[in-house]
Amino acid sequence: MRFVSRRLFFYLVAFFCAATFNFILPRMMPGDPVTAMFASQGTPLPLETLAALRETFGFIEGPLYLQYFAYLKSVFTWDLGYSVQYYPQSVNDVLSRSLYWTLFLVGVSSLISFTIGSMAGIYAAWNRGGMFDTLFSPLSLVLQSIPAVIISLLFLFTFGVALNWLPTGYAYNIDLDPAWDWRYISSVMEHAIMPITTLVIVQVGGYLITIRNNLINLLGEDYIVMARAKGLSEMRVMLNYGARNALLPSVTTFAMTIGVVLGGSLITEYVFNYPGLGNTLYQAIVNRDYPVIQGQLLIMTLAMLSMNFLADMAYVFLDPRLRHA
Amino acid sequence: MSAIWKVVKRNKKACSGVFILIVYVMIALFANAITDHKPSKRVARPHQEPSIEHIMGTTRMGRDVFTQFVHGTRTSLAVGFSAGFIIVILGTILGISAGYFGGKVDEVINFFTNIALVIPQLPLLLVLAAFLGQSSPTTIALIIGFTSWAWGARVTRAQTMALREKEYIQSAVLMGESRWRIILVELMPNLASIIGANFIGSVLYTVITQATIEFLGLGDPLATSWGTMLYNAQTTSAMHVGAWWELLVPAVAIAVLGMALALMNFALDEVSNPKLRTFSGLRIFNRRIAAIEYEKSLKLSERAA
Repeated sequence: MRFVSRRLFFYLVAFFCAATFNFILPRMMPGDPVTAMFASQGTPLPLETLAALRETFGFIEGPLYLQYFAYLKSVFTWDLGYSVQYYPQSVNDVLSRSLYWTLFLVGVSSLISFTIGSMAGIYAAWNRGGMFDTLFSPLSLVLQSIPAVIISLLFLFTFGVALNWLPTGYAYNIDLDPAWDWRYISSVMEHAIMPITTLVIVQVGGYLITIRNNLINLLGEDYIVMARAKGLSEMRVMLNYGARNALLPSVTTFAMTIGVVLGGSLITEYVFNYPGLGNTLYQAIVNRDYPVIQGQLLIMTLAMLSMNFLADMAYVFLDPRLRHA
Repeated sequence: MSAIWKVVKRNKKACSGVFILIVYVMIALFANAITDHKPSKRVARPHQEPSIEHIMGTTRMGRDVFTQFVHGTRTSLAVGFSAGFIIVILGTILGISAGYFGGKVDEVINFFTNIALVIPQLPLLLVLAAFLGQSSPTTIALIIGFTSWAWGARVTRAQTMALREKEYIQSAVLMGESRWRIILVELMPNLASIIGANFIGSVLYTVITQATIEFLGLGDPLATSWGTMLYNAQTTSAMHVGAWWELLVPAVAIAVLGMALALMNFALDEVSNPKLRTFSGLRIFNRRIAAIEYEKSLKLSERAA
């Protein structure tokens, strides 16, 4: 239990640091953010209006430490103020609208990558040096070194524009009303094929290589020899004795790649004009929507922290040695 | 050097990786000799298909795509290598200090490393690039270099901690060798492959990230690099008017450099581990995981003691 509480404490401190960084960031930049935000509107705003706007968007007057406390309070009560771009809407509204789409993309693609990558990795390790291994293990690494931006652009060009097989923008056909019927769901699926495939290509190699190399290292262990000596079927030795133990570091990979996947999701959403968090962040950056940018960075940090925490928990569950600590 | 050369010659994958990189470096070094005019000069009508005169076609602005590619190679490699150097220097100094000195030094460095690892990288870089406003390639190299050292530091730290326990380091300490000598002469050669892998990985990461930042329009649109080529292709909807060459050239350039660097990591494996006969996977990935596993096992043994 001490392990868990120590990790929790670390995540809390990490979140605190990220939040502080988030506070400093817009204040470090040249110029006053609120003035900059409204400079694009042409007509100069009256001073009192500007002051009122400043307060609405969380930039209150006063010494820095008071601003900081006000900011911390808003973070820990998760009251992040209003979006500049979509004014009457709060940051929470804007974020929750896009959060589900990103969760959908990242969740489904991670699940697919984990399944395919692990199975292919186990197979490659068991028949190492064989056709499959020599071809796919290096290939998965090469694919991994190609960035999401290139993969998604090539997909968009080939299947979206040149062949015109798949829709090129948004998460579903906007003529349809969101509802749990077949037409809507199939439209969502159709629109998700290219973004999800892109994210799978970005991730799958990592899982394949991790489990393959781990399993190869485990093959010489005594308990594998023992299982063979007992006359167990090859399949059983491979899955119950080998793969089960080799899966452990894949959990670490999972936590490790979440940042990469979030980044990949950001660019993929932009290319396919998908209404997720990444696209919202991009729009917020372009429109200098500071409250939304701050909320975005917080929510993404939170996602990273919770994924890491989940991986820690999975570790405690999978590795009995940690449980007694 | 001769050992490295021998391995490269024997290993086909490494050989092709090094070859591709050399070609890129040559293109970057002799950019002015290869091309006839400036990359921003209008030389023909817009969106001309590849022909003898313009072997990679022209852009919407009537600029020669081949010229842009050549000068873009120069920018992208320069940014990649300089950010790679910053990352490696920071990562190595922090990693060795934490791993070798231990105690308070380690605690402080390790804490900041762990924090840096759980902050989402790309969103942060995009926000930084946007706040700094139309970041030039130099700015991009600096912000990537100074925010991406954490993985290198972590891996170097774990390896240093493992090496520190080895007998030859212990005996050097007992012989009264100075810390600097131990670090530079005893430790560094054994960390060489990790530092090298860190460098290759960082260059790759930087080239990719720079392209992403510029593709999103957060870079300086007047600079010529692979990222701005992608950006220009996107904003002039090259894709929709069928000007595939404008998009494909920078895309393939980035992808091929990525492959070359990935292949070079194989060569490095063979230098550091001569027993390695067949393909062994991207070591940097294993090392990262090994670093984490090692830390976990340390915690376990601490508790047991």
